[in-house]
Amino acid sequence: MNREILVVNSVTVDYPGVRALDSVSLAFRTGEIHAIVGENGAGKSTMMKVLSGVIRPTSGSMMLKGTQRQFTRPSDAIRAGISMVHQELHLVGTLNVAENVLLGREPTRFFGVAVDQQQQRIRAGELLQQLGGDFDLSTPASDLSIAQQQFVEIAKCLASDARVLIFDEPTAVLGEVEANRLFAVMRRLRDEGRCVIFISHHLDEVISVADRISVLRDGKLVQAFARNTSGIVQSKDGSVADEGRLAHAMVGHELSSIYPEKFYSTSHYPNSKSAAIELRNFGAKKKSHSISFSVAPGEILGIAGLVGSGRTETAEAIVGIRPCEGVLLVEGREIRFGNPRAAIRAGVAYVSEDRKNRGLHLTLSSIANMMLPSLDKVSRIGGIMIDSQTEQRISQDWIDTFQIRCARPRHAISSLSGGNQQKFSLARWLEARPKVLIIDEPTRGVDVGARGEIYRIIAKLAREGLACIVISSELPEVIGLSHRVIVMREGTIAGEIPCERLARKDCQERIVRIASGLSEESSPRI
Amino acid sequence: MNPRTAKILRASQRALEMWGVLVAFVILFAVSTFNQGFDFLNPENFRAMLNSNAPVGILAVGMTLVIISAGIDLSVGSMVVLAAAIGMTIMNSLIASGTSELNAVLLGGAVTILAGTLAGTFNGVLVVFGRIAPFIATLGGLAAFRSMSLAIADAGEIRSQSATMFSALGRGGVAIPGLVNAAGKPLTISYSTVIFFAVAIVAQWFLSRSRFGRQLVAVGANETAARYAGISVSWVRLRVYAIMGMLAGIAALVQSSRMNSVSTAQLGLGSELDAIAAVVIGGTTLRGGFGRVWGTVVGVLILGMITNILTISGVSPYWQGAVKGAVIVLAVLVQRSSRE
Repeated sequence: MNREILVVNSVTVDYPGVRALDSVSLAFRTGEIHAIVGENGAGKSTMMKVLSGVIRPTSGSMMLKGTQRQFTRPSDAIRAGISMVHQELHLVGTLNVAENVLLGREPTRFFGVAVDQQQQRIRAGELLQQLGGDFDLSTPASDLSIAQQQFVEIAKCLASDARVLIFDEPTAVLGEVEANRLFAVMRRLRDEGRCVIFISHHLDEVISVADRISVLRDGKLVQAFARNTSGIVQSKDGSVADEGRLAHAMVGHELSSIYPEKFYSTSHYPNSKSAAIELRNFGAKKKSHSISFSVAPGEILGIAGLVGSGRTETAEAIVGIRPCEGVLLVEGREIRFGNPRAAIRAGVAYVSEDRKNRGLHLTLSSIANMMLPSLDKVSRIGGIMIDSQTEQRISQDWIDTFQIRCARPRHAISSLSGGNQQKFSLARWLEARPKVLIIDEPTRGVDVGARGEIYRIIAKLAREGLACIVISSELPEVIGLSHRVIVMREGTIAGEIPCERLARKDCQERIVRIASGLSEESSPRI
Repeated sequence: MNPRTAKILRASQRALEMWGVLVAFVILFAVSTFNQGFDFLNPENFRAMLNSNAPVGILAVGMTLVIISAGIDLSVGSMVVLAAAIGMTIMNSLIASGTSELNAVLLGGAVTILAGTLAGTFNGVLVVFGRIAPFIATLGGLAAFRSMSLAIADAGEIRSQSATMFSALGRGGVAIPGLVNAAGKPLTISYSTVIFFAVAIVAQWFLSRSRFGRQLVAVGANETAARYAGISVSWVRLRVYAIMGMLAGIAALVQSSRMNSVSTAQLGLGSELDAIAAVVIGGTTLRGGFGRVWGTVVGVLILGMITNILTISGVSPYWQGAVKGAVIVLAVLVQRSSRE
């Protein structure tokens, strides 16, 4: 029988000016996957920080296995068997898999002086096998894919004999197939009698994986669902947890279809003459990628594919971040960019998938971030001085247009929610008036409410004649947003879903099949 | 601890990070005054103190910019001596060949600044195109530039052949109207001090208001994100090292005219560490992406005041390094950021 292993009792956390958690009580049980959902800022991360000892609650108590506990630092929580599988991976790149798994708890010989290499490999191998991972223990961590690194992280938690594992947005960096493998691992951990806590923005995942779902909104627990004996996840009053109901609970009001209506015109089947951008056997150098497609003004082209299929590399090669091979045409003229500066001058902008590390400067102000690609526009006296009034005005225009919630645009952008940060990332490139906009994972780390707004923005831009390329690992997003979807696999286009087939129900499944190489329909390799 | 106290503590911690350097300055000033009274408050004392710290101050202003870009320049002291040696050699040979003193001084001065700029650009090229870590690249300069100047003068001293004009820059000053010293002469603020403050004001303006300043902070805070935003990281880097070199040239000019000679073994020796110390005390973070020139100026004044007060109090100069070291470490401790 599942017993309560970790119970929080009316926990409240106050940050300066904000009540992040407001008297929330939750019980986590062994042998259960307990999902916590909520918009950004609803208090999910704060709750996890309390559980893992990163912060101390302002009031409220915590019981672990029936005894009252208070953690003052993360190591307390780890020692008590509560481990966090971090969103940012903390592996040591120069150490190999086995060394990473047992980092800090190496088996030793000679009175604890020497590391017992053999024992280490055996232990690490066992732990990874428990997870169903099958890779070489002597690989340096820096050579692992993100998905593999996550496995190693989980194995690390098991090595510390964690009874409670917290997964904070684990699928944000994974493609469909990798995510499914991860869910299998989570189920395995649950079946071994551990408690798995799962935070996700993806409601479909949550519904299919979780045994219990708690919904947070504005720091309060607003609804709870649990799996009953017949396997259906429902709330006390009997309503079944589906995406609509969860979204409703999270947002507090009904979301109409989150995807905007698609705008169709004759220009959606471009020939090379009218294309805003065209690739011919193009790809990042030394990757033996070969990609050909074209996008017309006003069209949204979706690019689906697994992580590592070469989507981001291709985008980076287009805008000159990586060296490229093949032919690139922008508005019919052959061109090649040496750096993103040249690309934006020619009207091609790229919004990176990695907002924290490549997209934005988190320590700089919203305005500074906003204006960075187009400093020319606000420079006076021969390009030396920045006209702060002009930049303030331009930023404010975008804040109004996109309804960005940003009270103090001169403060560090890191204080904004993911959705608002993402709106700034879009705005900064739109200010440079591109003709082609490449958006890599447009809604990563963005909550449901802001997601819809970003989709509407993209659709509106396309309607106004911008050629958009949307790269995304979220199939509903690619399908819902795009006029046409191409599926990439191993650096080539493995298939294309035309407009009229995107509305069909089996579309999502088809894309998964093509992306993972299961379909016979995949186009012949070149 | 109740939340109210915690809140106040947090706020004061943040305030200390921001304004701690000013607090330290005020405390040090008060202690000095209390301790030495008129000897310290004497305007002549201030004049001398500012005058002797101006060259390091000018270097520290440049160092602030370099450190904001997440770089470092260990070669500034050696750049000073190299620029000064080249400039003075040229000036002397011009005078020897019969050029008028004024022209020789002007040309020599221009060559000094140019030589510094070139040396700085060389550092920049190593860092940007050679892809050498700034610490290593400029460590090379630290050794090489001094060695070159030693070779120029056979490790000896180069004496200025300009009788009065060259040294006027280092010794003269602007009279402050209405103020006279004990001897009844008008009180002056030296040219070198004026140059130091002018350089600092321009640099602070560039940092907070110019496009280059914005790009510099962006590169220092996150180079990758800057590149993705379409900033030419190499060009920003190259310029900051060139500017550092130019300021080293100016510092060399100020310093050599004050001495009216260049001692190739001594001039600028250890200046790089004083400059870095001033930057750190001023609250600029060594990992880059955040900094302020005004803090550095206060940092220079703090270091200068420590030496000054210890000298007046008759403390052995051998102990001054220990006190300075303690202040540097203390400054970092206080400012150790909760911003992480």
